[in-house]
Amino acid sequence: MHRRTCLLALASLPVWRIAAAQSDPELDPAPPVVFDPVLPGRTLTFPADHGAHPGFRTEWWYATGWLALPDGSPLGFQTTFFRVRSGLGEQNPSTFAPRQLILAHAAIADPRLGRLRHDERAARVALGRAGFESGHTKVWVGDWRFEQVDDRYQAEVRGEGFGYSLSLVPDGPPLLNGAAGFSAKGPGPRDASYYYSRPQLKVNGTVTLDGRVQAVTGLAWLDHEWSSEYLPQGAKGWDWIGVNLNDGSALMAFRMRGTDGAPIWSAATLKPAGGVARALAPDAVAFEQLRHWRSPRTGIDYPVEWRVRIGERRFLLQPLMDDQELDSRRSTGAVYWEGAVRVTENGREVGRGYLEMTGYGEKIRVG
Amino acid sequence: MTLAPVFFGSLARRRVATLFSFAAIVLGVALGMAVQAVHEAALTEFGRGLRAMAGDADLQVEGPRGGFEEGLYALLAARPEVAAASPVVEVETQLVGSLDTLQLLGVDVFALARVTPALLPRPADTGSGSDSGATDGDGRFAILEEDRVFLSAAAQTALGVKPGEPLRLHAGSQSLKLRIAGDLPGAAENRRLAVMDIAAVQERFAKLGRLTRIDLRLTEGVEPTAARVALQAILPAGVLIEAPAAAENQAANLSRAYRVNLTMLAAIALVTGGFLVFSAQALSVVRRRTEFAFLRAIGLSRRSLFAWLLAEGALIGLAGGLVGVAVGHGLAWGMLTVLGGDLGAGYFSGLTPRLQFRPVATAMYVALGVLAGAAGAFLPAREAATVSPAQALKAGDEAALLGGHGHPRLGFAILAAGLAACWITPVNGLPIGGYLAVNCLLAGGVLLLPLLAAGVARLLPRGGPVPARLAAARLTAAPGHAVVAAAGVLVSVALAAAMAIMVASFRDSVDAWLGQILPAELYLRVGKISSAGFLDEAQQERIKAVPGVREIRFTREDSLRLAPGRAPVALMARPISGDGHELPLVGAARPTGGAPAIWISEAVADLYGWRAGQSVEVPLAGRQVALHVAGVWRDYARQTGSAMIDLTDYRRLTGDRLASHAGIFLAPGAVADQVADALKATAQPGALEVTNPAFIRGITLRIFDRTFAVTYLLEAVAVGIGLAGVAASFAALAAARRREFGMLRHLGLTRRQIGWMLAQEGALAAGVGVLGGLLLGGAIGLVLIEVVNRQSFHWSMDLHVPWGSLAWFAGGLIALAALAAVLAGRQAMRQDAVLAVREDW
Amino acid sequence: MLEITNLSRQFNGRRVLQDICLRLHPGEYVAIVGESGVGKSTLLNLIAGLDRPDSGQLALDGAHYADLSEDALTHLRRDKLGFVFQAFHVLPHLTVRQNVALPLWLKGLSGAAADGPAQQLLEAVGLGNRAASWPRELSGGEMQRVAIARALAHGPRLVLADEPTGNLDPANAATVLALLAERIRGAGAIGILVTHSLEGAKTADRVLHLTAAGLHE
Repeated sequence: MHRRTCLLALASLPVWRIAAAQSDPELDPAPPVVFDPVLPGRTLTFPADHGAHPGFRTEWWYATGWLALPDGSPLGFQTTFFRVRSGLGEQNPSTFAPRQLILAHAAIADPRLGRLRHDERAARVALGRAGFESGHTKVWVGDWRFEQVDDRYQAEVRGEGFGYSLSLVPDGPPLLNGAAGFSAKGPGPRDASYYYSRPQLKVNGTVTLDGRVQAVTGLAWLDHEWSSEYLPQGAKGWDWIGVNLNDGSALMAFRMRGTDGAPIWSAATLKPAGGVARALAPDAVAFEQLRHWRSPRTGIDYPVEWRVRIGERRFLLQPLMDDQELDSRRSTGAVYWEGAVRVTENGREVGRGYLEMTGYGEKIRVG
Repeated sequence: MTLAPVFFGSLARRRVATLFSFAAIVLGVALGMAVQAVHEAALTEFGRGLRAMAGDADLQVEGPRGGFEEGLYALLAARPEVAAASPVVEVETQLVGSLDTLQLLGVDVFALARVTPALLPRPADTGSGSDSGATDGDGRFAILEEDRVFLSAAAQTALGVKPGEPLRLHAGSQSLKLRIAGDLPGAAENRRLAVMDIAAVQERFAKLGRLTRIDLRLTEGVEPTAARVALQAILPAGVLIEAPAAAENQAANLSRAYRVNLTMLAAIALVTGGFLVFSAQALSVVRRRTEFAFLRAIGLSRRSLFAWLLAEGALIGLAGGLVGVAVGHGLAWGMLTVLGGDLGAGYFSGLTPRLQFRPVATAMYVALGVLAGAAGAFLPAREAATVSPAQALKAGDEAALLGGHGHPRLGFAILAAGLAACWITPVNGLPIGGYLAVNCLLAGGVLLLPLLAAGVARLLPRGGPVPARLAAARLTAAPGHAVVAAAGVLVSVALAAAMAIMVASFRDSVDAWLGQILPAELYLRVGKISSAGFLDEAQQERIKAVPGVREIRFTREDSLRLAPGRAPVALMARPISGDGHELPLVGAARPTGGAPAIWISEAVADLYGWRAGQSVEVPLAGRQVALHVAGVWRDYARQTGSAMIDLTDYRRLTGDRLASHAGIFLAPGAVADQVADALKATAQPGALEVTNPAFIRGITLRIFDRTFAVTYLLEAVAVGIGLAGVAASFAALAAARRREFGMLRHLGLTRRQIGWMLAQEGALAAGVGVLGGLLLGGAIGLVLIEVVNRQSFHWSMDLHVPWGSLAWFAGGLIALAALAAVLAGRQAMRQDAVLAVREDW
Repeated sequence: MLEITNLSRQFNGRRVLQDICLRLHPGEYVAIVGESGVGKSTLLNLIAGLDRPDSGQLALDGAHYADLSEDALTHLRRDKLGFVFQAFHVLPHLTVRQNVALPLWLKGLSGAAADGPAQQLLEAVGLGNRAASWPRELSGGEMQRVAIARALAHGPRLVLADEPTGNLDPANAATVLALLAERIRGAGAIGILVTHSLEGAKTADRVLHLTAAGLHE
């Protein structure tokens, strides 16, 4: 998914605004780096495809979900691990050669605080300080990690002022998005990724807030996606949702917005409980903005309430709290909105999930 | 204060003497203040740079210059005490085609953010304005790219480059072309720094698998001291954990030793000033005896008289101190502008410090001036206050001459104490005992001056012309006046002679040392800086193959960390014969023992207590290796210590086959210039530098002389002021002796004869001072060489007394003093003075 | 013989001495008395060759001062004149004997050669046992006796004494004046005693009064 590509670029080094270097004939031209391509027709196989795919340019494991504290009050959480093949240092024998990078973002949405607690980590894969494994999910940076143990996922995060240790147990096989996991991102044939989700993950574990450890339970959503291509030209941002519906079904939908705000591409996957997933065509998906909230920190206007049309169904999205903006301009510079939302249909709450919105402030700079 | 005109008016009456005392105190205070201010500014700047570099780092892991195994990073980062670790490879490199050096840090940008954010690079926005989606990895990970370098603003200014431009650096014997991709917004303003990706630095500067430093941020709540102990335990030999302040202290220690010499000069001027105050006050007090007796008679208490007289000296000191600190700050500003923070000594390269006004230090220097003035006035004031008024009222001026033989017993006791002080071990790296000894010698010398004067008088011939007989009789009977005049000369001559002997010994020893340490006919190295330059094995082979080379001795340079908090010890691996005869050895070699030999410099012997013949453990390549200390050699190049081992041993023990430089012996008939050109042609143009020892020696001695030139100048000024003091005291004396001159003229002495008498008196007084000063100067020179320098710089030197210069110096001083005395007496010999014998005009 | 003819001296237009005439033969000892400021010391300075007259002649043993250079005058003082001062002017850093020997040194005698005569002179003034003392150990009267011995040490032709008892008590003054008269007569020199005390003046052979009008008996 392109939204993740862009986000990754933001999350990694967005502060550093680089002028594209004109190629210098005097500099030794490094041999061109060939990334693995995303091709239609490849069959995803498990458990092998749970693991990393280091030949591709970018890859991420992206878990979001709702948690409940012992007193029943809700929290949202986000855990994201990115793996990046930078294309740099491929010939350098140094241990520190920055061929593979691991970056991670984590956040807790706490209505009582009224804004996100978040933190991030980044490292190159070297000397075991950060890394990934193939064949099963395992990715870590420092003491943060996300890994598959038996048939569950384990997320460990210790950030500033918060931390969590969560167990995520899937209820069924992976949900393949797009065409059996080949997910188109735009009209062009190259704009695509391999993409599957794990909806309806049963969560239990502990959350630490300001040094206080509390047990939590909840329901989460995991995306695992990898690709080598870039955003199509003219994209300014995107909107994405992943919703666990109360009836056991799951919904993923996204759209790419152009610089004029008009959608460039959209797609959705809807999987009934126990049923077979159905991929929806771009014209079957529509996002409609209902209410805006202006960030006091950045002055950015975010549409925090949405009406989303998926085929014949219409869902209303309402945020757990308005301020779920993740402003890390001082460290990594990314500014986006990633938050827990309630989903209602015909006035009745039918599920909970996560909404992600980018590109509502400045034009996004990639790299 | 009602009596102020009575006392302070006296200062105005003897303007010349007051002016000289004032000038000497101004000089002393100004010099001390300037040195202090310059040093303070440089250290502050240096410290700021270090702190900014260390950022939030709580501890730093440092190893030898060649670095340590990179696996330590993972080991430390995984420790529970460590919140974050940042690996660094640091090299000092040089621009191609330029003498400019650059401190280049290879960093992991991801680790920086949590440990040392001050080093975070910022790519320049050169306004390409390209669409985000269109650019590829070229821009996204600028810092990670191997050919991108980020320069601090200071480095950009110093090197005259800006982002977007290329930069060529020496790396090994290759040149490395980089692009300046941005700056370091958090770097200390004055720090010349460059930052690159750690992997690129490791590869390009032959540091694969090596780190030179790891910055650590400790987990919250972990005590740094405890963590330091715990972490040190898991580190290999020769890799140490330091608090980031350690380097600052090391720098302070390093330059503190250099400061010793300059402070010494300030002390010369200040002490001379004190003695000039003494001379002027002593004479003035004698002349005013009747006045004081009258004041005492009408009810001024002894204590008040003493206080007022002390205040006279203190007033000169205060004026001198105030003007001195102002001049000192001006001087400091000038020195910083022209010479830099280390006054040209090279301890703080790459820094441009700013002068700061420090009220406390400034007040201290003003106080020193007041102290010098008051101390000078102390003895005369006491003398004046103890005289009984009745006696003073009755007796005439002439009866009040200072006589006697001083306090010889006390003088000898103080000299003995000074001798004993030489054995005091340095306190906190400072040669306190040496300074104490110098002070004792000066004090003792001054106390023994009357004895010396008497001794000299006894040696004078009884016969001869009348003026000579009169001068001799005067010195014999009343050495007081001569002593008063000579004290200032004694002190300034003693200190100047001591400095001269020390500097001459130093220069002579350095000269001889250079001859021993540079035996080859040609020297080859990579650029000016050895940290980034190296000769790999292929390059070594190419050098060996150059025709005309008879023998080649490669040297590998690295460093050893032997103790925490101490600067690293330089390690040089080069071919060394079994008995080390080619080294400038101090004492006998002890080349026995089965273990490989290590030859240590005197500094290592001093700082680490190693002795020849001893077996020591030395961290080589991360493990402790037992070595045999085969001998101690003299190293004037590295005051923090250095050690040599045989290159073959080194390669066997470490596996490091690189070389840093080489000494080349020519085959018979080979032409040095041709061989040099052939050697240079084995690598890229400009990469190798070939010099001959005469050139190195010339440069070294030139730098040496330039460093000490300022010393000579200041010495000359101090001695000049001391001499002016002689003139001033003779002028004062001559005025008091107008009646004596008048009587002598009645008796039939010609004007010329009285002139001669004065000249001889001046020469005798100065002669006594110079003689005492030279004796004392010899002793102080020995203390400087054997104690102060040894303890400050940890090197010995061979005594070399510049007899010729000292003789000229002494003769010139005596002649000048005679001239000064004649000039001073001239006024007193005018016709009207002759008439002064009549009291009832 | 000392011959003074029509001697005049003025300072800044103030006439101090006018047409002074005096002729003294060896062995003559005269006292000159006068009011303060009348020119006694000016007259002595002129006689000593330390000052030059505006007009008139001075000659000692036929040598005319006007013909002598300053150096020659200095030698004249060295060889033929002796001085006794009111404030003694004994050099404090010379011993008593050295002080007396000083004029002999100036005549070229070595230290040792001068010691004998100096000792004899000291015996003569009653201070033979104080030869090695320092001046500061003497009383005023003793100091002046040393000065008298010094004034006569080199056998001067003319001894000038300027208020020699000004700093002494009456008893000591009498002793000193008597000694001075005795030594001058004994040496056969010309003696001039300048004083304002008529009592003291009587120790001389004759007394001359110096007034604005001139010198007369």
